[in-house]
Amino acid sequence: MCCATKCECTPGAKRVTTVPNPKKQGVYYGWYVVAALFFASFLAIGSRQGFGVFVKTWEEDWGVSTAAISVAAAIGWLMNGFSQPLVGFLTDKYGGRPVLVISLAVMAVATIAVALISNVFGLIVLYGFVISFASGGISPATTGVVIAQWFDRRRGTAMSILIAGGSAGGLIVVPFLSYVLIEYGWRVAWIITGSLALGLGIPLLLLVVRSRPSDMGLFVDGEEPSINEAGEAEVIVRPVGPDFVDKWKEALGTKPLWQLSFGYFVCGITTASISVHFVRWAISEDITTGTAALAFGLLSGINAAGVLVVGMLSDRLQRKNLLGAVYLVRALAFVSLIVVPGDKAIWAFAVIGGMSWLATVPLTASLTADVYGVRNLGTLFGFANMAHQIGGAGAVLLFGWAFTRLGSYDIAFAIGAATLLAAGIVSLSIREKKHSVRYVQLAPEGGAVDDASSSAKSSG
Amino acid sequence: MPRFPGILAHHSEPIDPTLWEWLSVKIDHVLGLSPGVLVLLLGAVIVSFPVVVMVLVWRRRGGAN
Repeated sequence: MCCATKCECTPGAKRVTTVPNPKKQGVYYGWYVVAALFFASFLAIGSRQGFGVFVKTWEEDWGVSTAAISVAAAIGWLMNGFSQPLVGFLTDKYGGRPVLVISLAVMAVATIAVALISNVFGLIVLYGFVISFASGGISPATTGVVIAQWFDRRRGTAMSILIAGGSAGGLIVVPFLSYVLIEYGWRVAWIITGSLALGLGIPLLLLVVRSRPSDMGLFVDGEEPSINEAGEAEVIVRPVGPDFVDKWKEALGTKPLWQLSFGYFVCGITTASISVHFVRWAISEDITTGTAALAFGLLSGINAAGVLVVGMLSDRLQRKNLLGAVYLVRALAFVSLIVVPGDKAIWAFAVIGGMSWLATVPLTASLTADVYGVRNLGTLFGFANMAHQIGGAGAVLLFGWAFTRLGSYDIAFAIGAATLLAAGIVSLSIREKKHSVRYVQLAPEGGAVDDASSSAKSSG
Repeated sequence: MPRFPGILAHHSEPIDPTLWEWLSVKIDHVLGLSPGVLVLLLGAVIVSFPVVVMVLVWRRRGGAN
């Protein structure tokens, strides 16, 4: 644990030292960082989701089955999950900026290289391994760490905007790639995608993103040091939390990590199972394709709005209460799939499920940062992401087995609802007021500023 | 038939090709625009966002110097 002593003073206690007084420049620079990371997520997630658009073309061009192409997608899923603790660790060690830039560069070059391949083996190597691994570097395990470094009071809001970027990528980049495919062919589509990352994404990251505000002589949340009568600026010494860790392994012995990871594991179970079995379920219920597409559009819209609302609320309320509520609402969505008849089920799911679909990500990332500090956030959240992917992979197989065996998804959805109920209860049982720096603040020992957990750091 | 992870996931898995087929039919029905026009419109959205952010940051830095 971080060395710390009980702080008698209020959070944000000040000590006097001489530091340059940064110029006031309007909008806090952290919001530009959010915008740049929004675009990086938009591009990375959108282009990866766009993979599905090309499947039928590849089947015809290469004379292969869907199953063969599925191998690349399945490997990609696992590689993306397994890469996240590693890229998270690298982010903790070297800062988010270099990891983001290198990851996007590798992803961009490999994406362009896909245009050169002529068989499914090349796809497995480039997409399954290289692109999927590199895209782990543009995930919340890296982007979330950068956001947590720049934001403290409005961390939930900033995280939710970032996550909405990935959602927007799915809504805009996927159709874009589909129409490029129709007009110019699949090879051009992959060249354009890689070129967008190289020509716009990387310059944007290099120009805008810094790993932490102190790299620019700025302060977390855009705070400004006040000047005392002697003309000295007062540095705000940020408190640390009772469970802040110097090494990520120290967090393994604490309860909140396991509570958060369990919830995220369940999140993976329920999102992956629906995402993979959505079409088969709709067909099994005789839902028309038009209805399914419209319901999906509604879900996407509510999804984007829901994550933003929950993110903003989480800066005012206890995050664990919102996280618990999100899991319980999603449980209700799963129950609606069982009890609501016919077409109405898909609408009920779109409305109820949409509100909860992405909201777990900013809440889990923010709460992890609040409890353990940001020094090891990349590694810790990377492990949570890996748990999410493993839970998802297992659930996809389980749901498929249940449907094949029973001819219905009802039992599988009931299991999903039960796990969500458990995740909701476990999340609500997190003692946020005991563990989070938002409620329990300690002063860094000797008045030193903890550079990672911290917020305001002298640049002088 | 093997299925693909879809757009509903958190971690950028590929969209289900069948779901995309349903969605594209609906989009074409609602918008009624040619693929070429949609490429231009969506491409403009994709390109303009980072360009605007870079210009704003440039201007901000120019103002600071």
